[in-house]
Amino acid sequence: MDSPSSSLDQNLDLSKLSPKDKQELQQFVVNESQKARIQQTVHSLTDVCWRKCVTGTIRSGKLEKNEEACAQNCVDRFLDANLLVIKHLDSMRNSQ
Amino acid sequence: MDGISNGLGFGGASDPKAAVMNQVRQEAAMANARQLIEKVNEHCFDKCVPKPGSSLSSSETTCFTSCMEKYMQAWNTVSRQYITRIQQENSKGAAGGGMF
Repeated sequence: MDSPSSSLDQNLDLSKLSPKDKQELQQFVVNESQKARIQQTVHSLTDVCWRKCVTGTIRSGKLEKNEEACAQNCVDRFLDANLLVIKHLDSMRNSQ
Repeated sequence: MDGISNGLGFGGASDPKAAVMNQVRQEAAMANARQLIEKVNEHCFDKCVPKPGSSLSSSETTCFTSCMEKYMQAWNTVSRQYITRIQQENSKGAAGGGMF
């Protein structure tokens, strides 16, 4: 086992960190997780919206004007739909 | 957070905090790249290689290059739009949130 991560783990003694460092590190991880979550959502939104909006053959390396507008609408409508689902589920729960 | 360039993995033992941060950043970047590669390959293979032959033709290769650039542009457009939306929802107040 000589992978970079395991050698890093061995060298790390996190108990030596000062409370300030620990807190900074914790905040850093929270921020990075949020960033990763947003990136993940962008990946799946791009996947969905590419299917919807880029329907022709690839002519150039640039998005056509209408494809770009479509992608923007696609993101907004997908999120609208997402909120709608949540709202509806919420109303179902409340009417029980 | 930025600004300290601790030359890729050096000083791991002397500065454990920076080492952890670097490791986290690297793994996040790798996961992001892997995801992008997977998606680009999936969608561009679909567009550019409708009938796989005995090798990639030059037109298929050209198509792949364009498609890649196009996909990344789409990614950036989607990203911008999504982040604008998140900011809008957040400024509307926490009520009915859950965008994250």
